[in-house]
Amino acid sequence: MPEAASMPGTSRPGTSRPGTPSPGAAAEASLRPVPAFGGLAASSPDGRLVVREREGLGLATVTARRGRGGDLAEVLRASRGLVLRPGPTVSRAGDLALVGTGPETWFAVGAGGGWRFSRALAATLAGLAAVADQSSGYGVLRLSGPAVRAVLAKGVPVDLHPSAFAAGDAAVTLAGHVGIVLWRAEDRADGEEAFDVAVFRSYAESFRHWLFASAAEFGLADGPAPGPGTAGAVSRPA
Amino acid sequence: MRIACPFCGSRDLREFSFLGDAGAAGAGLPGAGPGAGPGAGAEAGADAGPGAGPDADAGARAEAVYLRDNPAGRHRGLWYHEAGCRSWLAVTRDTRTHAIFAVELAREGAR
Repeated sequence: MPEAASMPGTSRPGTSRPGTPSPGAAAEASLRPVPAFGGLAASSPDGRLVVREREGLGLATVTARRGRGGDLAEVLRASRGLVLRPGPTVSRAGDLALVGTGPETWFAVGAGGGWRFSRALAATLAGLAAVADQSSGYGVLRLSGPAVRAVLAKGVPVDLHPSAFAAGDAAVTLAGHVGIVLWRAEDRADGEEAFDVAVFRSYAESFRHWLFASAAEFGLADGPAPGPGTAGAVSRPA
Repeated sequence: MRIACPFCGSRDLREFSFLGDAGAAGAGLPGAGPGAGPGAGAEAGADAGPGAGPDADAGARAEAVYLRDNPAGRHRGLWYHEAGCRSWLAVTRDTRTHAIFAVELAREGAR
């Protein structure tokens, strides 16, 4: 990411619209990805809540064509080794996760690739599903730590107790008035629970505000988050 | 009030929006009959209700479009799970107590 801080007031570079495009470049022309939460990374002082944006993900919605849900599951199993679980749950295989968001509908998350992720998935599922790129449409935050459920409970009207929302469970619901896709991520290495939250990009600031207000009692403070891997990141989107 | 969505499970009322009488869905559209769900009118075909077609009696047609029963008791209504799985649900409940007897996808395979 360019050092935006060192170039105040300048327009954003890297939008791949050079004055003299080289032949063949047009097919791959795309905007420079900008993380929806500005690369947000923050932690309460005692580490009871850790917030980190998952950047560079490939995101897509997948809706099975009528009557092709079974074939879709079979193709995913054969080509990606992914066993599709029914209902509001997460199915994972390697870097690919499919979050059940509705009947025959999923939110697909790839560890990388941006918009290219959906193109590859659409090719895999040709004729079986409608695949729509969402890579620049959503921001995804990873929330983890012993306080994470207490914080989410302030605005999410779903029972998140482990007995009701177990590892691998998912929900499309609300946080405050903001629509979210929420799912249990793999537990942290120290065994603490982790959740991923996908929010429409245009709601990123509203969600961030709600999150920090809800986590204030745990000392989650606004401001730049120093630390390895977060250099240049800002907590507040400009 | 909480509604047990067939896909999502038990969810808070704020996630849903109410459309109205499930039996009146599509009333006044050609082919729509009483009890037809959303979009089911075309398949209903010959099962034409009082609202069917331009040739229907104008009085019966107006009644089908505008008049609704307002039962104090059992009622079957359409609810949209807007902040959840975005399914249309048919919810049978008691309008006096909000006790819910049944929740089903308004149409099998609906998303």
